[in-house]
Amino acid sequence: MSMKAFELVPAIERAKLIADKIKTQIECLDVCGKNLYIGTADCFVFHYCIEERNIGGRTTFYSEKQGQKYLGLKKAIVQIKAASALNRIMVLCDNTFTLLNMFDLEPVYSGAKIKGVNYFCLNENPANPNPFSIEICVALKKKQLQVFTILEDKIIHNKDLSIPEPATIIGVDEKHVCAALTTQYCIIEIDTGNIQDLFPFDTEYVNPVVKKVTKDEFLLSGPSALGMFVTSAGISQRPPMQWSDNLVSVSCVHPYIVAMNDEFITIHSILDQQQKQAIPFQGGVFMNDFDGKLFIASSREIYSLVPVAFEKQIQALLADKRVTEALELAENAHSTGMTKDKFMKMYRRIQQQAGFIEFTQQHFEEARDLFIKGQVDVREIICLYPKMMPTGSNFTRSSPALHEIPDITVLTKNNETLTAEYIYFLQSYLEEIRNTKLSIGLKQEIDVALLKLYAENNSPELIPLLISETSCDLADCVECLERYQRHHALALLHKHHSENDRALAIWSKLVNGELTDNSFPGFKFVIEFLANLNNHELVWKYIDWALEKDEELGVQILTERPVNEPPSERLRPDAVIDYLHRFPLAVINYLEYLVFQKKLEKEKYHTHLAVLYLDKVLNLLKNSSVRKEEIDMARSKLRHMLQISSLYRVQLILGKTKETDMHAECAILYGKLEEHDKALRILVHKLKDYGAAENYCLVNSQGREPAYRKRLFHILLSVYLDSSYERKDTLVAPAMSLLNSNVADFDTVKVLQLLPDSWSVSLLSQFLTRAMRKSMHTSRMTRVERMMARGENLSIKQECIELQQEPVIMTEDRNCAVCNRPYSEPTFIRYPNGVVTHVHCAKNKYICPVTGKLFRTQKSNPS
Amino acid sequence: MSGKRKPDLKVIIMGDYAVGKTSLVCRYIEDKFIKHEPTIGAAFFLKQWGPYNVAVWDTAGDERYTGLSHFYCRNAGAAILAYDMSNPQTFESLWARFMPLLNSSTEKCLKIVVGTKMDLIPPEERDITLEEGRKLAHELNEGLDISKLACEPYFETSSKDGSHVSEVFECIFQYCLPLSGDQRSKFGLSTSTVDLYEKEPKRATAKKGCC
Repeated sequence: MSMKAFELVPAIERAKLIADKIKTQIECLDVCGKNLYIGTADCFVFHYCIEERNIGGRTTFYSEKQGQKYLGLKKAIVQIKAASALNRIMVLCDNTFTLLNMFDLEPVYSGAKIKGVNYFCLNENPANPNPFSIEICVALKKKQLQVFTILEDKIIHNKDLSIPEPATIIGVDEKHVCAALTTQYCIIEIDTGNIQDLFPFDTEYVNPVVKKVTKDEFLLSGPSALGMFVTSAGISQRPPMQWSDNLVSVSCVHPYIVAMNDEFITIHSILDQQQKQAIPFQGGVFMNDFDGKLFIASSREIYSLVPVAFEKQIQALLADKRVTEALELAENAHSTGMTKDKFMKMYRRIQQQAGFIEFTQQHFEEARDLFIKGQVDVREIICLYPKMMPTGSNFTRSSPALHEIPDITVLTKNNETLTAEYIYFLQSYLEEIRNTKLSIGLKQEIDVALLKLYAENNSPELIPLLISETSCDLADCVECLERYQRHHALALLHKHHSENDRALAIWSKLVNGELTDNSFPGFKFVIEFLANLNNHELVWKYIDWALEKDEELGVQILTERPVNEPPSERLRPDAVIDYLHRFPLAVINYLEYLVFQKKLEKEKYHTHLAVLYLDKVLNLLKNSSVRKEEIDMARSKLRHMLQISSLYRVQLILGKTKETDMHAECAILYGKLEEHDKALRILVHKLKDYGAAENYCLVNSQGREPAYRKRLFHILLSVYLDSSYERKDTLVAPAMSLLNSNVADFDTVKVLQLLPDSWSVSLLSQFLTRAMRKSMHTSRMTRVERMMARGENLSIKQECIELQQEPVIMTEDRNCAVCNRPYSEPTFIRYPNGVVTHVHCAKNKYICPVTGKLFRTQKSNPS
Repeated sequence: MSGKRKPDLKVIIMGDYAVGKTSLVCRYIEDKFIKHEPTIGAAFFLKQWGPYNVAVWDTAGDERYTGLSHFYCRNAGAAILAYDMSNPQTFESLWARFMPLLNSSTEKCLKIVVGTKMDLIPPEERDITLEEGRKLAHELNEGLDISKLACEPYFETSSKDGSHVSEVFECIFQYCLPLSGDQRSKFGLSTSTVDLYEKEPKRATAKKGCC
């Protein structure tokens, strides 16, 4: 137990006392300001002046004798107490309570005294405080307590309190007396005299002690050397303390309870009731606290127990690795009157020190908490790990040092598992604080250390660290990443520092297999990077390599450009197409990108793409071993292109397709040329795809007036019914289904003219009924519309008439309602509420400029 | 320390030497079963019960501290009288030694009899029957309206395996400082009653999350 809460310092030494009188034996003493009074066993009162001096952190006492007085009774002076307010000292000798002058030690003139007194006690906290009197309570030899008010020369008796047994020792606080009777303790209420028993004790074993510790709380010595806390309500709010036997005296200096027996002074904390310190001290006869100062007397000497500064106590505890106690003590130091800032500074430093102590003991959980709470400078931790600090850092450890660890190798002693634990701690700690306020201004150190840690143990976190907003320094980390062959990470680091060329050099080596790194995501990653790279020179440098590696992926560099990239000369489409000549696949992809994605409307690209598609189809057709699906795919692509675009040179394509039997394509091309008859004939006669023919009509009439659509369907119908076609019988069924189709649209009269006379009415009944109905419907709807329009017309007329009903009389002295000037022109504005203004003064015809009234902007529906 | 709020309820645990009083409190407060040195004088625990503070005083069973027990009983709202189920003598001394002490506690002090070390004794070898225990518990609480009490004022516990330990304390707290179902759930305490008006059973909400 090396905690030091107090130091024993001599106050008045033996030599000084012996010089006065050989036989002098101290019995009691009192300290009041600089005055120290001693009562001796041979009835002397000594008066000393004592001064506390603090030299170089050490407390010493300087004393000078002021006077002495023999009370002439040959009995010991049992109690002595100064009452500075009255300039008196109170003395108990031979069971008699008397008053002496504080300075010359002469008895008071009145000779006031109380006889038959066992013990007296000052009420430091009386119910009716008065600066010119004090209140005491005395325990008489008979079964009675008495309360007195003491004036300079008078003792006024206030109250008697009877008790079941005589009291030996009492304590007083405000309205309560706690008394040790001969066999038990009790609490007596002064006003009512009510007695509450506390607990019994055996005088044979227990030396009764009553000590007021805080307001309304007493400390008593209980059986088996227990220190019992009792409130004035007679209950206990703290667990008892264990003392040793033969207790002599107890004092209290917050937060400590100091107890003295014949061999030791023991110090307990009132907070946890645990013993904190023991000081060997033999032959102690008296101890008490005076305004927070503790004095102890043996029979010949006087000492003071000087509290060791909180900081010193805490440092002693920390040196002893008693972290919890140190922190608890530090927390309580808050109540010692430090300012909040100062306290927090001190407390944080202690937490940091404590953190490092836990750290050395591998209590990582605790260390982590303390580091975070103590807001330790993270560099203090990083610098313990060799080579973890950035090389350029000029960090020096705080002074005075927070710890005595040169670096962790001293702690781990080359034990591998231990080293791993320490490294893991650093990593998890850094990860935890990385985005908190503890990392402000220290991001570089944290990120560099994390990078080195990740690189070393090949952590999957390495890549995310570099992708996110990282503050890794370049020079320092390159070496580390190279050493552990984290090539991809190295490239990312270069990229982060905008050294894209270097990054690409590493990546191209990774793709080529010259380097390997498991974390490298592959070729696609490089393509993506190049596609988003805004340095087009660099793009050109690598595009050749990328295209040779894989044409389709490589061209993505050009096609997946960022949406809002400004156009540049290097990436001008013409130049790119020229360049891509060598790579047929890439050209197609690039043209598709231009035509379909960028929607460039340049005939050249569209024709080029169409020709390329067509060439591809033709090539496939020539080669008989090609699977049919592949041809279909290529053709459908071509058809799609031909259909949606109308910018390519149709004649050119048509010239090429006509020579082959690609009828579907021809049909589309004819459609583009508006040669619908030809197109439909191909669809009907060659392909016999009637659905496609109907669809053709719909597609080609999209976005045109209904008459155009009717015309197209009519052409189709006439193709079906063309009598020159040798197999026209086969086309009756599709013609009928077209007539009855829901999507088709016809001019009924023209259809009837076209239909062969030989067809029966029953065959056409469905078509005719529908045509009739439709015609009827249109006629009726038109009538309805007409009538509604008429109604609307009427109601507007009515409104107009109403508005014009009243005359507006304009005279010369009538002024504009807005500008209040006369009218100079014949035109004016009249609002429906009668306000008349200039034309130019009427800003809004729906809002009256004078009243701000809003007129209906729309006639509401009559319903 | 003077600023410390006065506890709203004082519960005292009494019983013969080594019946397992400290183990009982420790199991409840810390949910641990460890070896304890004999208690000196008394020990003190604070427990939050909803918005209330409950002070649990664990007294020393040793006979030389009997004088103190009387003092520690003062103002107790409830007393736990513990006896060792494997030692019938400790049951006797509840009657003989501890009952008189309770006169100094508040008049309406609830007395709960608790048998400890249930794990040590097979049911067929018991000396004290369940009925005897209950009888004593009811006698002790004579003149007290215990109809409010949710259960019998008699428990048989084992601090080693933790059985019935928290029931003892929660039964007392609920009697002395009743909490409504709302309060209980607010402070994260288990609710023994089924709340019909609860909007949705918790299980159902958990299920929702899985798809």
